Amino acid sequence: MRYIWQLVKNSFRMQATYRTALLAGLLTNLFFGFLRAAVMLALYQGQTSVNGMSIGTAVSYVAVSQGLIAFLTIFGYFDVMRSVYSGDVAADLIRPASLFTTWMGRDIGRSIVNLIVRGVLLMAIFSFFFDVVLPTSLLQWVWIGFSLLLAWGISFCWRFLVNLASFWTPDATGVGRMAFALSQLMCGFILPLRLLPDWFTHLANFTPFPSMMNSPVEIYLGILNGSQLFSAIFAQVLWLGLLYVVCRVVLAAGIKKLVIQGG
Amino acid sequence: MRRTVILYFKLIGIQIRSQLEYRVSFLMDVVSTFILNFSYFVALALILERFGTVAGWTLGDLAFLAGLAEMGFGLMDLVFSGFDPDGFSQFVRLGKFDQMLLRPVNISLQVFGSRFLVRRLGRFVEGCVIFGIGAGLAHIQWTLGKVLYLPVVLLSIVAGMGALFVVGGTLIFWTVQPVVVVNIVTYGGNELMSYPITIYPRWIQGFFTYVIPLVFLNYLPGLYFLNKPGLLDFPPIFSFAAPFAAALMLFLAFQFWRFGLKHYQSTGT
Amino acid sequence: MIPKMIDVKHLTKTFRQADHKRDLAGTLRQLVAPKYREIKAVEDVSFSLDRGEFVGYLGPNGAGKSTTIKMLTGLLVPSAGEVLVDGMIPWKQRTQYVARIGAVFGQRSSLWWDLPVIDSLELLQSLYKIPAQRFKSNLAEYRALLQLDEFLGSPVRSLSLGQRMRAELCAALLHDPKLLFLDEPTIGLDVVAKERIRRFVQHINRERETTIILTTHDLSDIERLCKRVIILDHGRILYDGLLQTLVERFEGEHLIRLTLVNSPQLIAFDGLRLVSSDGIQAVYAYDHHSLSGAEALRKLQEKYEVIDFELVRPSVEETIRRIYEEKLLLEPPPGS
Repeated sequence: MRYIWQLVKNSFRMQATYRTALLAGLLTNLFFGFLRAAVMLALYQGQTSVNGMSIGTAVSYVAVSQGLIAFLTIFGYFDVMRSVYSGDVAADLIRPASLFTTWMGRDIGRSIVNLIVRGVLLMAIFSFFFDVVLPTSLLQWVWIGFSLLLAWGISFCWRFLVNLASFWTPDATGVGRMAFALSQLMCGFILPLRLLPDWFTHLANFTPFPSMMNSPVEIYLGILNGSQLFSAIFAQVLWLGLLYVVCRVVLAAGIKKLVIQGG
Repeated sequence: MRRTVILYFKLIGIQIRSQLEYRVSFLMDVVSTFILNFSYFVALALILERFGTVAGWTLGDLAFLAGLAEMGFGLMDLVFSGFDPDGFSQFVRLGKFDQMLLRPVNISLQVFGSRFLVRRLGRFVEGCVIFGIGAGLAHIQWTLGKVLYLPVVLLSIVAGMGALFVVGGTLIFWTVQPVVVVNIVTYGGNELMSYPITIYPRWIQGFFTYVIPLVFLNYLPGLYFLNKPGLLDFPPIFSFAAPFAAALMLFLAFQFWRFGLKHYQSTGT
Repeated sequence: MIPKMIDVKHLTKTFRQADHKRDLAGTLRQLVAPKYREIKAVEDVSFSLDRGEFVGYLGPNGAGKSTTIKMLTGLLVPSAGEVLVDGMIPWKQRTQYVARIGAVFGQRSSLWWDLPVIDSLELLQSLYKIPAQRFKSNLAEYRALLQLDEFLGSPVRSLSLGQRMRAELCAALLHDPKLLFLDEPTIGLDVVAKERIRRFVQHINRERETTIILTTHDLSDIERLCKRVIILDHGRILYDGLLQTLVERFEGEHLIRLTLVNSPQLIAFDGLRLVSSDGIQAVYAYDHHSLSGAEALRKLQEKYEVIDFELVRPSVEETIRRIYEEKLLLEPPPGS
């Protein structure tokens, strides 16, 4: 446990040295947010509400999802496969924690810093240009926090799982890029799932991806209430558990293969 | 001149050969690049099932515009890979740029020949597919003028966006690390060009008209192909300004490059 | 008068180092009101080289060696001073100039990583516009001298370090440069590979009269190859002359290693000093300027019964290291 804490602290501290990169990331996310918000406004064109989402909510959706890019590492994550290909993974395998925990520890600090700088700060700046929804009830904030935590867990498990492909194939980067393209679309990052055709949203609901972004964002925006909120959270918990188990099983098989065949 | 062309093809020939050596990973890269960028178009097509148009532009119109931008950007990404700030930064740090300065060949030619990422064809192919869909759905009334002007517009996008890569690469001479803000005008510019510029806030429109004149490369020519009236203050003749804007951008970019090179030779890294 | 191959006069390079933190605020402040610190990397360096010389360019890390080399190869423009190499100013007319020089950097590769060696060489033929006939004869010669045939068809990435260095040397010499820069050409190589490379560059220097400037940390390279050395520290030339003279002047004490019948008693006498002893083993040191080896041995034999002895001279490496560490050259040499 202390070892994990150490990793978290290290990754946190490392972020501080990337200040310029953080700021640049913030600016980029912000600019793309402006572009996406403009597209959203042009789509609505005076319509006030579409499928339970008002124009103001839709623009806020853009802001929140842009702010979560870095926290949830939406564009992809290749750290684990890189360490497998470089052989650095060997050093991690002899450490007192599982590979999953080690990498999670490394990712937590980075994610927290990014949630603040590229999340909260982005929202604050964004709200100078557009009306961004701000939840007022404390209870809602609690649910938001809980849902974000679950979303982060799902995101990490998914990313880790994709990276494990590197235990089997030398071309995991390509596999990863495709997998992350899929999750970007299905999680509601590119456009809110609610605004896409119903058949597509139903399809997406068979995957863990809406739980990774669409649900926490909708909870933030106050679209999901009461029983809808509970079922969204319930789905998140379920997916997190399932993905975690799959990660563990696949990791065990991967390590076995690595040890037996020597990579 | 002939020697320059031969050398260029020899240099990129090497790049292509060594990339094809890792065949599976190469194919995966092409396909995944295609899918990654295509998914954004899929999302647009899906949302238009509910909304119909973006500011009066149908899926076909938008696909035409976005396809053109993507084709141009994809091709540029390929041809100008050597100037791509991320790659060029590594090049300078590893001393490979110094190695090039020790060879008796024009330095820009060597940078062009130093990197040629064939997987970026995935993006070009994706642009072609979207453009094809757009051209089909938008029922373009093709005239001889349009057929002749199309490749000109495409090359103008390649040159104009390439100019931005050259500027981003030149900044490496001062910063060593890539300046991430450059991505806002390159990748952000490409994203911006995928939609009619009139949907954006005034200050963004102004910036991409007068500071970085991307509006001349895609949106204004697009109006001509789609027979659409413009909402900007430019008369229709400006639809044909693309090659001039691009030439100006590329010229200024290489002036800056030359200036940067001088700076590099007086400071090193 | 035969023109010099290299003529360097009062060469100076001052870097302005931006004096700021690497964060955004610091960067912005730097844009508005730049502050600089001046760093003199090379200061008032003058020397000249004749055609066919093989000179070692030495100095501790950060002495200004690589800055000088960068200026001589035209990569860097000096702040002041003149450089004339074979009648040309390196940083002007870059393309014409670099066609006449060759360079090998031990730490970097100038070959194409994924390409078979021969393809890299052929590409260099086009880059340097080497006439087919000359390319053929040069390649044939280097193939034999460097024994390239065993790996000419293999991609560079699969070569051993020694093989790669041989390929690099061939690549640097295909266009018959008049001047060759060698930077750490034997770094990381084993003894056999080092010797092969040394023999080759010596051959090139002698047969082709190629002028060679060698920078290295491996002083055995210098000892083996260079008659003349230039020593640099803090951007200034400390010494320019024969290696032999330098060694004679600054060589430390010689040692005499003895096996005696009885353990040694005397700590110091008659210019001899006990450095260490272990039972009947003893090591005495003496100043070879005032005492010859024979005299030292005779004096020791007067005091002890000597069973066996061995005279030990410090290596050139030790001598040069002493020069750096004890800053011997900073004081005027005795008698000058």
